[in-house]
Amino acid sequence: MNAAEPLVEAREICVKRGRSEVLHDVSLSLHAGEAVALVGPNAAGKSTLVRSLAGLLPTTRGRVLVRGRPLREWERGALARAVALVTSEEEAPATLTVEDRVALGRYPHSGPFRPFTAEDRAAVAQALRQTSIERLARRALGTLSAGERQLATLARGLAQEPQALLLDEPSAHLDVGHQLRLFQVLDEVRAHGVAVLAVIHDLQRAAAWAGRMVLVAGGRVAAEGTPHAVLAGEAAARAFEVAIRGHAVPGLAHPLYSFDEA
Amino acid sequence: MNEATTRRSVFAALLVLLPAALLLATAAGSVPLPLRSVLGSLGSAVGIGSAGASPLGSSGETILWSVRLPRVLLAVLVGGGLAVVGAALQSVFRNPMADAGLLGVGSGAALGAVLAANLGWTAQVFLALPLMAFAGALAAVGAVYVLAHASGRPTLHGLLLTGLAVAALASAGTSVVLAATEEFRVRTVLFWLAGGLEGRSWTHLRLAAAFILTGTALLLLLSRPLDLLSLGEEEAAALGLPVHRARLTILALASLIAGAATAVAGSVPFVGLVAPHALRPLVGPLGRRLLPAAFLGGALLVVVADLGSRTFSDRVDLPLGALTAFVGAPYFLLALRATEGRP
Repeated sequence: MNAAEPLVEAREICVKRGRSEVLHDVSLSLHAGEAVALVGPNAAGKSTLVRSLAGLLPTTRGRVLVRGRPLREWERGALARAVALVTSEEEAPATLTVEDRVALGRYPHSGPFRPFTAEDRAAVAQALRQTSIERLARRALGTLSAGERQLATLARGLAQEPQALLLDEPSAHLDVGHQLRLFQVLDEVRAHGVAVLAVIHDLQRAAAWAGRMVLVAGGRVAAEGTPHAVLAGEAAARAFEVAIRGHAVPGLAHPLYSFDEA
Repeated sequence: MNEATTRRSVFAALLVLLPAALLLATAAGSVPLPLRSVLGSLGSAVGIGSAGASPLGSSGETILWSVRLPRVLLAVLVGGGLAVVGAALQSVFRNPMADAGLLGVGSGAALGAVLAANLGWTAQVFLALPLMAFAGALAAVGAVYVLAHASGRPTLHGLLLTGLAVAALASAGTSVVLAATEEFRVRTVLFWLAGGLEGRSWTHLRLAAAFILTGTALLLLLSRPLDLLSLGEEEAAALGLPVHRARLTILALASLIAGAATAVAGSVPFVGLVAPHALRPLVGPLGRRLLPAAFLGGALLVVVADLGSRTFSDRVDLPLGALTAFVGAPYFLLALRATEGRP
């Protein structure tokens, strides 16, 4: 693989949900080891974009490439070994244990019939360790807090051992301590060359974590660049209908942002 | 107690209770057979113990081998099959109230059975009722499939609504045919509709076994796809599962099993709901554990219920289907009240 080649790339894609087009000519690329924050107002098309990149929604125009190959040329299992999607939907059975939930992340590797190997078990154990939920391994999902369940879902994504990790609001249910832990985990897997793209509502958090920020508004990419450039720009103010100001604070690596009525 | 120990104890308990219930059900009845003699006769049939004169006598032998054994073994298949179907459908639909009725199996089978009675086949053709019931069940499921696919790939919701509509139509058809059927013919089919295992033969057993055992084995093989489906469509697809194909395969196998069980036993409600619901918290929701546990639990339930239905009273007929409903419905109300609705 060419080092400069994006792991996941959308080229001018249009995507419909139902009858209405949600994404219009969106282009976006994600490289190995990158941390990209996808931000934008509600109903901007962020979730649709993330699902399109994971191959779950068909494009009506344009195409998505994973490691240079169009999505439709990918076999399902191979694609799920390359790209993992973690959302904040909670649909798993309440009686499922955390460990079994995470182990289902090995499906792209094991398929329906192959017995679990030592490698599978090691991947599950590492995913539990990375997300610091080993002590919850035997607990049923229904007995956990929403934040703990979210970490279990992330661990399932890590157990897939993907090259690109796509997350839709991964910190939605997390308190501040768990949020910190989550983004640390994302940085750890990034250090191993995994590309991470996350939809994040908390702009402050997004700016502190991401190397690059993509602003989506009205189904189009409205701005793209370093978080500070995007948040300071006119497009962000227009998209969120607020005035955004960054304040440098001595001793802090990132500016603090304030949001006021426009 | 950790959950692995719980799981092992549950399986051990089921594996002890089921054979014990089977033995009791073969011995007990309007003509009680001594347990020791039953054991002796069963033992000598498989080459254990003495092959001398039967301790049961010839009438006892006939009761054991031609009446009781096929009946209790059929109870195992029907109960096990319905419970496995319930467990599988509850994962697919991600709803603890899902069972084969959703796909129109019961209503289709009833329509088939009533048609067979109306045409007078039940009196003339051997196995006409179960075969027509089976055909009716499969026809209903086929209709659900075709109608749901009329406008592209159906959603889970679309499948469910189509199933309900087809079931309602089949029930309407059943009423019409019943009303047009001569009274003496209605009686046979009414007994079947109420659910029961009275007078079932080895032929019924073989018919049911072919579909129920094969279907259950195949569902068990598909337990990982089943587990993924229980996570929801999106996550299953993101993990590389061909969601639509997996769902249809599982629904088809479930329909075959439920169709065969309903064909030979009529309507035996609540087994498919109660057995998986009681066992899921104990063995977990993964198919490779829940399906075998549900089979054993459902089998135990129906063996005991059938024993109850035929020994309850000399004067009152208590149909098996009524008994499972009498026990199952209150259990389910209480259980649902105790927990939230998620599987």
